[in-house]
Amino acid sequence: MVVKEEIEAKKTILYDEHIKLGAKMVPFGGWLMPVQYEGIIKEHNASRNSAGLFDVSHMGEIFIKGIDATDFLNSITPADISALKPASAVYTQLPNETGGVVDDLIIYNSRGIIENIDYLIVINASRIKEDVEFMQNKAKKFDVEVINKSDDFAMVALQGPKAKYVIEKIGVNLDLQPSFFTFKNAKLNDIPCLLTRTGYTGEDGFEIILDNKNAKKLWTDILSYKDEFNIHPAGLGARDTLRLEAGLPLYGHELNENTTPIESSLGNFVPENKTAQYSAKDFILGQKTGKIPLRRKLLPFIMQDRQIAREGYEVYIEGKLCGKVTSGAPSITLGKNIGFCMIEFSSLEDNLVSILNNSKENIGMDIQIMVRNKLYNAKITKKPFVKKNYEK
Amino acid sequence: MNIPEGILVSKTHEWVLEDDNGSTIGLTPWALEQLGDVVFVELPEIGTTFSKGETFGTIESVKAASEMYMPVGGEIVEINESLINSPELLNEDAFSNWLIKVKADNFQEDSSELLEYNDYQDEVQ
Repeated sequence: MVVKEEIEAKKTILYDEHIKLGAKMVPFGGWLMPVQYEGIIKEHNASRNSAGLFDVSHMGEIFIKGIDATDFLNSITPADISALKPASAVYTQLPNETGGVVDDLIIYNSRGIIENIDYLIVINASRIKEDVEFMQNKAKKFDVEVINKSDDFAMVALQGPKAKYVIEKIGVNLDLQPSFFTFKNAKLNDIPCLLTRTGYTGEDGFEIILDNKNAKKLWTDILSYKDEFNIHPAGLGARDTLRLEAGLPLYGHELNENTTPIESSLGNFVPENKTAQYSAKDFILGQKTGKIPLRRKLLPFIMQDRQIAREGYEVYIEGKLCGKVTSGAPSITLGKNIGFCMIEFSSLEDNLVSILNNSKENIGMDIQIMVRNKLYNAKITKKPFVKKNYEK
Repeated sequence: MNIPEGILVSKTHEWVLEDDNGSTIGLTPWALEQLGDVVFVELPEIGTTFSKGETFGTIESVKAASEMYMPVGGEIVEINESLINSPELLNEDAFSNWLIKVKADNFQEDSSELLEYNDYQDEVQ
């Protein structure tokens, strides 16, 4: 077998901690990140059953400030930002002029929480440059500032059913912890931070945003409860299998600049009653309401035998090449092999397209995936693959 | 984990041990550590023939699929069936859990570029 060479990349403030813990480091989105410590399976299971601790400092942070802040964000995302209350967060996307996705992101209304800042946006590491350029360009028509703060902050995610008890131990009682998709200022063992009830695993948990200079202390403080709560440091490998099981998209895989949020099966995050205009709104809403046909559709599938589908593998329906796998992996929780595929409707007959478009009729439909020059059966299913375990 | 005496290793991390019964082939502990948790192994059919450097099978970790290459050419005479249902055994002991046994066509010639295990260890570490 061939082992890939490592490429030079930026290090997060927690790099030395990862090395001490025996992590295997890999380049990701321009950063050198831990892909695993003890092993992906252990880290995955810890996140589902007790707690996983992730360094996600590579993620980007943007501050939005100015009297037009709400109108500005309302004009660039499908989410209804005018309905987003202070201390609340929303998951949304950044559509371009043709409805393709520049990035997916979480917007936090930070009024009264971060001094003089109206909104905090957390974005993908690999898209920081594109997002900042896109937003600063759009901001010219508004009285608003778009400030890239990505180099100032570290971010740590504590995910799993035991996460809340760990947070209780280090300073915030259960009844004072922010609820799902809200956040607050907090002190964890005297370290000031933003404590957010968000994540990327399908489990209850927190993402903690803090100054770089405090990150090492918080990381080691949390790990001092390793034995009591069975906390495992977890790398990008487990993060990927966890998010895939939860049916959450990854930019560059399930989302890209040529595919709308509706085509990427994110219609639930596109409200129909929002009044404000945003890029390609008519096209995106037209697709959501069925007035404009989809060009392609992201669908979840389960392999019917032991072969694992990987990104880029070809997908066939009734013998016709019609798409590609966007993400594929063994589901550690289910013990089956799962994935997402993007099916191109232009390569299929109308009757098949109408079945694929119907989220009830398409379940159980047979597709084939080409693995090393042989076709293997898979069935369309619905997401999530593993039930979400959020505390709402 | 016992390192079998006399094993030779390819640049692509396959080890081979030649004795009176033929050539036994596996993957090195270093390669398996790089892969992480092994979840799937695909091995060739008995009776197939491969030349040196040809792909004989696939090993998959949670993250990725990798091909495995013949360190010496020859006919497959046995595969390690227990790895089909328990691929994770490879992470436990890379030497007792061999992959395939081969009747080598020309072991002397094919093995001339293979490294002794100590030299291989120096190279990867």
